[in-house]
Amino acid sequence: MRELHVFSYEFKHFLKTPAKVITYLFFMFACAYSIYNGFDLQNKQKQTIQNIEIENKNKVLKVLTWFEEGKSGPESKSWVDISNPYWSLNYIPTYMLKHPSSLLPLGVGQAEQYGYYKEITNWSSTYDNDMVEELSNPERLVNGNIDFSFLVIFLLPVLLIILTYNIKGLEDDFKFDKLITIQFGAIKKWIFIRFLFYVFLLIFTVVFFIITVSVINNSLVTDFSQVKSLILLSSLYIIFFATIFYFIAVYSCGSSAIAFKMISAWLLLCVLIPGSVHQFASMKYPVNYMTDYLDVNRKEAYEVFELSTDSLYYRLVEIYPALNETVHGQEDEIDNRIIRNTVCAVINEMNKNVIKDIEQQNEAKNQLIFSSYWVNPVSFVQNKWNSYTFTDYYSYKRYRSNVQKIIDKKIELLSVECWGRRKVNRSIYQQYLQEFNYDM
Amino acid sequence: MKNIVINEWKGLFRNRLFLVLVCIFTIALLLTTYLGILQNNTQILAQKEAQEHIREQWDSMDPTNPHRAAHFGSYAFKPTNLLNSLDEGINAVTGNVLRLEGHTQNDVMFSEASQSLLISKFGKLKPSLLFQFIIPLFLIFLSFNSYIAERESGRLKLLLVQGASLKKIVFSKVFSIWIIGLLLLISTTFVQLIFNTYDLSFDAIFRLILFVCSYGCYYLTLITLTVLLSLIFKNATGALSLSIVIWVMWTVFLPKIIGNTVEKISPFPTRVEFQNAMDVDRSKGIDGHNPSGDRKKELEEKTLAKYQVNSVSELPVNFSGILMQADEEYGNDVWDKHFGSLYKQLQIQKRNYQLSGFFNPFASVQSLSMGTAGTDMFHHLDFLKQAENYRRFFIKKLNDEYAFGGSKTGDRSWKADTKFFQSVKDFSYTFPVFLSFLSKYILDILFLFIWSVCLLFWLKYSSEKTIFL
Repeated sequence: MRELHVFSYEFKHFLKTPAKVITYLFFMFACAYSIYNGFDLQNKQKQTIQNIEIENKNKVLKVLTWFEEGKSGPESKSWVDISNPYWSLNYIPTYMLKHPSSLLPLGVGQAEQYGYYKEITNWSSTYDNDMVEELSNPERLVNGNIDFSFLVIFLLPVLLIILTYNIKGLEDDFKFDKLITIQFGAIKKWIFIRFLFYVFLLIFTVVFFIITVSVINNSLVTDFSQVKSLILLSSLYIIFFATIFYFIAVYSCGSSAIAFKMISAWLLLCVLIPGSVHQFASMKYPVNYMTDYLDVNRKEAYEVFELSTDSLYYRLVEIYPALNETVHGQEDEIDNRIIRNTVCAVINEMNKNVIKDIEQQNEAKNQLIFSSYWVNPVSFVQNKWNSYTFTDYYSYKRYRSNVQKIIDKKIELLSVECWGRRKVNRSIYQQYLQEFNYDM
Repeated sequence: MKNIVINEWKGLFRNRLFLVLVCIFTIALLLTTYLGILQNNTQILAQKEAQEHIREQWDSMDPTNPHRAAHFGSYAFKPTNLLNSLDEGINAVTGNVLRLEGHTQNDVMFSEASQSLLISKFGKLKPSLLFQFIIPLFLIFLSFNSYIAERESGRLKLLLVQGASLKKIVFSKVFSIWIIGLLLLISTTFVQLIFNTYDLSFDAIFRLILFVCSYGCYYLTLITLTVLLSLIFKNATGALSLSIVIWVMWTVFLPKIIGNTVEKISPFPTRVEFQNAMDVDRSKGIDGHNPSGDRKKELEEKTLAKYQVNSVSELPVNFSGILMQADEEYGNDVWDKHFGSLYKQLQIQKRNYQLSGFFNPFASVQSLSMGTAGTDMFHHLDFLKQAENYRRFFIKKLNDEYAFGGSKTGDRSWKADTKFFQSVKDFSYTFPVFLSFLSKYILDILFLFIWSVCLLFWLKYSSEKTIFL
């Protein structure tokens, strides 16, 4: 009963402290603003993707009209012949798109570090120039976005400090801490109940925003397990910081000392430790200039172009043994044009091999980050959060992997069709479209 | 006043907690500066190796067609400056490699931030992180305690009775703590100087001086503000809370809010919109591989008239090379138009952000910190500009060789020799002298100065008006 009384008293105390109420409302406002920003980014991405899809459909319709009108291609390009698979496949606008997650408004994560649409050509790779992030102000990127995850992970502990630093601190300052012992008994329990009120308040606030966004974006249906995990993660995170602050309040004397220690703990966990790990990781794994990848796309690619048609023929057959069974594969003479049109398959294989090494190097750095989680819990929470909102490194790695699958598909189809000496008409073109998920 | 300052230091150095904290800060600063220098040197070496590796390939190129060589292209690697070890600025989020080739102007790629999971939202543990986040907090608590302790212990009354004025007391407190902040700053700069003596220029020293001065001004602002609040507020906790709230607002909240707002005021097009707009403008020009249209005819007629011949086959030069160069120059105009306006927009955004220094001195100190370390947007844009200028020189050299090096129109198999390729100078980035950029930081310098001077005046005014006894 006494516990309940302390709990309800804390609620009254909170309401009667304008500084605390204003800070709390300010935090609420910041959350609303961050979520608005998240929605804004999500809508911008959706709009861009929609525009790309519309433009692609228009391009496809144009090609279909050429087939209907018996044209071989655009009038200004007389050398284009869309009945040749090389050109008809070239005239299928192929894009790999990363649709924004329904939970993006709750955590932008690393979304602004990567591109989310990629045009696939015969010469594409997953580290192309168009895989970089959208046009943005780099200084803004350094300061980061006011996104909801940032507010919960970095600012919520500061709010907790403002709400709790004078619990017991004030009593110490005015020297009536003994009075509490007389009136309530165990002072630790008294502090615990007062802390509990703020823990509940903050958990309720965060959950309220998570649920609101989930309802608006229908995430409770589409990404229920992620929503559940976000709620659990944020609650545990609040409890984690509250526990640290509770012990600081119990074992310190005076509100100044408590505030100083709490802020120091926040700085240590949110700024110093992640910064140290970051510095260490950068020393162990300096920025990768990816010279191996550059070599493949420049020197080694040009060496391949210098190879004889015979050598290229055998390299292509090695990559796709099924080419042996095609029309050209059965012919006695090698057609230089067909080989040159499909040489991109050789470069693609070279790219895939070198990219595997790059991904392994990145993975080694990530493993180092994982191993630091024991001393760096904030980065753990941050990356976990980003993984739930599909905005972490691995979400974009999956996206890169999907890009590679489409590149492989396009090049394999190109090789098989060119070697098969296919004559493309409207219906075959439509079959190609289906391969790339066009519903025309 | 001198006696009060000395007395203040004596008091501080008698405090074991203070001594421990100062030792921790000094060691942490020296260590992070040293580690920063080590990491920086590793990066400088890696960048140099990459550039040499690419150049080696270029120098050993077999005789080939110059236009083919233009497609083969080169790379510019963003160099790391000596002072990057102080403040990393935007280097982690911008790319580091720029492909330089014919027909196309590429984006800078492979940013560090895209190569791993997220580690720190506030950047690496560089001296700037300590200067911007840790030391200010330490100074806030020091200055808060310094005055409040005197008041609450009753010593302040004693000092006033003995004849010292409140103004002298508070100013002594401000300066005694400020000097501690300055000592930490100077010791870091000293380490920076010791480990980089081999490559220290006047420019680097000037940058370091400005670096120290900007943080010095910021610390003076923070200390004065804290002392002022503890003077104005009778409630010690209220003063401390407000100081911390202001510090959090300045360092964590406002930079993000303002950065976001500034970008929203003048939003960028999406990359696809930007590229489409460039493609549309480019298509109006000459396509080097598809020479048709009025521009091509105009150029052909002009060239024929210049050489007084009737057809391109009679030309003593290779018209394809001339055409390629004309295409490049048209592309350069398109690039200047689109990227010019993009860079202008970035600079407007930066200026708007700098204006926020009016109510957030942290924005000014952050901007000056990155600026003096050579890691801000202005320096990044300068790198991009120099790289683009080099690309133009590089492609023109190749196109000119193709046009005037001895081949004739239609002679596609013509090859320039290895010696020619070796004679094309490599990209070398000239780090800008800070004085040439100084005008870009006037707002930051001005705001920091105004903040510290205004607060000092306010403190003077408040201390004169406060009746204590």
